Amino acid sequence: MIFVVDDDVIMAKCVARATKKETRIFTNAIEAMNEISSDEMPKLIFLDVLLDGPDGFTFLNELVSYPDTRMIPIVIVSSLDYSNEDLSSYGVVGYLNKEKMTPQEIYQYAKKYAK
Amino acid sequence: MEKEVDGILVAAHELKAPLAVLRQLALSFDDMDETGEHIRSEMVRVSERAIKQVNDLAKIRRLEDGLFEMEPVAVRAVCDDVTRELSYLFDCNRRDLFIKYSNRAKLVTANRELLYSVIYNFLLNAMHYSGERTRSELIVQDYLDKVKISIRDFGPMLPIDVWREIKRGFIEKPTSIAMRPGSSGLGLYIASKFSRYMNAKVGAVRHRDGTSFYVELPISKQASLFE
Repeated sequence: MIFVVDDDVIMAKCVARATKKETRIFTNAIEAMNEISSDEMPKLIFLDVLLDGPDGFTFLNELVSYPDTRMIPIVIVSSLDYSNEDLSSYGVVGYLNKEKMTPQEIYQYAKKYAK
Repeated sequence: MEKEVDGILVAAHELKAPLAVLRQLALSFDDMDETGEHIRSEMVRVSERAIKQVNDLAKIRRLEDGLFEMEPVAVRAVCDDVTRELSYLFDCNRRDLFIKYSNRAKLVTANRELLYSVIYNFLLNAMHYSGERTRSELIVQDYLDKVKISIRDFGPMLPIDVWREIKRGFIEKPTSIAMRPGSSGLGLYIASKFSRYMNAKVGAVRHRDGTSFYVELPISKQASLFE
């Protein structure tokens, strides 16, 4: 299972579709976090940064606070440029710029981390 | 004043989000026939162009923060990248683009990102003002201790008030030259703002059959890897 966390539902659906895998969409970080802690562990999370309510970094901080969630690979999906930031300690394995990304790039991450 | 400017940044972000979604939706279509592929490609390019313009507007706000560093920039490589990006648009609009490089100095002192936008906007402006099957020209040459990038169109003569503004060194606000789509003068305004930030001289020459806009950039003293 792949999680897509983005407050823009249409963009989230585009990302979900491109993965060609089973996905769940969340429009805010709290919903996604609750689902992780109570239910199944996602194999990969596509995460927007600017979200309604707690932002993407708050979500990342939450994930690294627990031993069972700190290893979940995260792909940042944002219009802001984080390519020069090293966020690997948060489990971030890649960055996708919303203005430039392609379905193929999204699929490659899904293929690699959510076999 | 500060609130108003920040409002532009917020508006830019709000505008970019749906454009990025539209682009992604266009890319999400499965295999299509040739016509469908063509439409998809057009949708993606139009969205990307609009995103670029919104990004440029947001950059104007960030100029005040001094975030754009000046560095040695390979001027021909930037021109090549811009013309490659715009060649499709020139083809679609049945415009020709003539390119001539005669500059010996390869590096100028500029910010690559801003210089890219200056050339991009001047070329887009030239394309809009040129008639069908007429050409626009991009000429790069040495000029004293500078490199001069000129973009010439064969459209209507530049109004004298706009020319005066450019001669003064910058354009205060977008000024429409003709009531046509893409003719709001926004591109010239953006190019003027970015050039000013880079301490580059911007100018325009009024021809009987069109206009040349140019930007002069100081040659970088750093040894060029290309020489």
